[in-house]
Amino acid sequence: MNQTASTPNDREVENALYQKRKKIYPREVHGLFAPRCVLGVFVLLGLYYVIPWVSYEGHQAVLFDLPARKFHIFGLVFWPQDFFYLAMLLVIAALSLFFFTALAGRLWCGYACPQTVWTEAFLWMERKIEGDRPRQMKLDKAPMSLRKFRIKATKHAVWLAFAGWTGFTFVGFFTPIRELGVSLANLSLGPWETFWIIFYSFATYGNAGWLREQVCIYMCPYARFQSAMFDKDTLIISYDEARGEPRGSRKRSDDRAEKGLGDCIDCTLCVQVCPTGIDIRNGLQYQCIGCAACIDACNDVMDKMDYPRGLIRYTTQNRLEGKPVHVLRPRTLVYGLILLALLGGLVYAIATRVPVDLNIHP
Amino acid sequence: MSSEIPRIQRVISILWPSFLTSGLATILFFTLFDPVHLLAGTALAELSRLGAYSIGFFCFWGLTILTSGLTCYFSQPCDDNRRRTRGRQDDSLGSAL
Ligand code: SF4
Ligand code: SF4
Repeated sequence: MNQTASTPNDREVENALYQKRKKIYPREVHGLFAPRCVLGVFVLLGLYYVIPWVSYEGHQAVLFDLPARKFHIFGLVFWPQDFFYLAMLLVIAALSLFFFTALAGRLWCGYACPQTVWTEAFLWMERKIEGDRPRQMKLDKAPMSLRKFRIKATKHAVWLAFAGWTGFTFVGFFTPIRELGVSLANLSLGPWETFWIIFYSFATYGNAGWLREQVCIYMCPYARFQSAMFDKDTLIISYDEARGEPRGSRKRSDDRAEKGLGDCIDCTLCVQVCPTGIDIRNGLQYQCIGCAACIDACNDVMDKMDYPRGLIRYTTQNRLEGKPVHVLRPRTLVYGLILLALLGGLVYAIATRVPVDLNIHP
Repeated sequence: MSSEIPRIQRVISILWPSFLTSGLATILFFTLFDPVHLLAGTALAELSRLGAYSIGFFCFWGLTILTSGLTCYFSQPCDDNRRRTRGRQDDSLGSAL
């Protein structure tokens, strides 16, 4: 990507770079990690859509009541002067991210990041409506027809409905959701509530339906600075080059030693399942969100070939190089200790704060 | 900062960081100042808090977009610009905006 300026076919290269990105059609995977991922999606989405409806002692349990300038979290009430706690909470969240990243790599991205979770949900709807990967590709290549139009329109309608519900829920975290629901039903929503519901719905629709992996590549700050938190003992998803190379196709009955081949049969399934469209066999790349889809796909292939599993697997750089692995090491210990201290501090601060504010509670 | 960077990345690199910082600015600003007090006695006294937050946010965002955009604009290689005026004037940042 860096020979643009002086090459003779300068213009061509540039044009190629300006081409619309190639759409990625992730293939569906089944395996060891896929169910865990689905579970993550269910739990997180479930929490998001259900929490605003939970009541606690007669009011909404979790409500960041912006119009009234106070935050309710179950029995606790926070006022603007309690901003300190929020700041501390953010520091703790950032530090836990460091801690878990140093330990286990991009766990966050693959299982917990809202971008992944909503994209998974949107992909699932797409799959239900358009069919699996080959069907989706065929449909996109086909000329516009009544059938294609119907399928595409259904998909976008379902996406938009889901996004709309997401936007409504989002605003429901900041203004009482039951009242919001009532005014929605009466078509008497305030202008700003309406605006933010629409804004958030379109953000969801755009990010999870259209942008997808581009959010991770261009917008995510975490993807860029993760390398600072990684070391040789961090759990990463990696292709075992020593075992896999030289790659090459073969029949199941072929003896790979005889043919001088490694374990990788070059079926490219690992590339086809990848939501960010990279080839993990080229080594660790910052686009890899650690979703483990390629592990599942490759394990399947290995099973079919009667080869041992784990050509692509969770491992650490040290282990790949045959060196000992340290889970407890200065980096994780320091992160862990600071984290514990801050958490303890926050809990203490909130616990000793409560009696004062309970008096003000209306 | 030259033509190697896809257009979408340039657009995002202006809109997105400014979105984040304006969000932060909005939180800090309105934690310190209650819009109801701020606007009391002005023409906007009728504005709801939610409205004030929203307008505040978009004012911040507009400002930060301007900053990000200017940063991008000024970080184009200067020599390249001179060459470009003689040759072709296509894909400088201006067209990305
Ligand atoms: S899925 Fe496994 S065998 Fe197939 S190309 Fe990828 S690494 Fe090679
Ligand atoms: S390389 Fe594998 S783990 Fe990384 S994003 Fe692609 S499928 Fe997921």
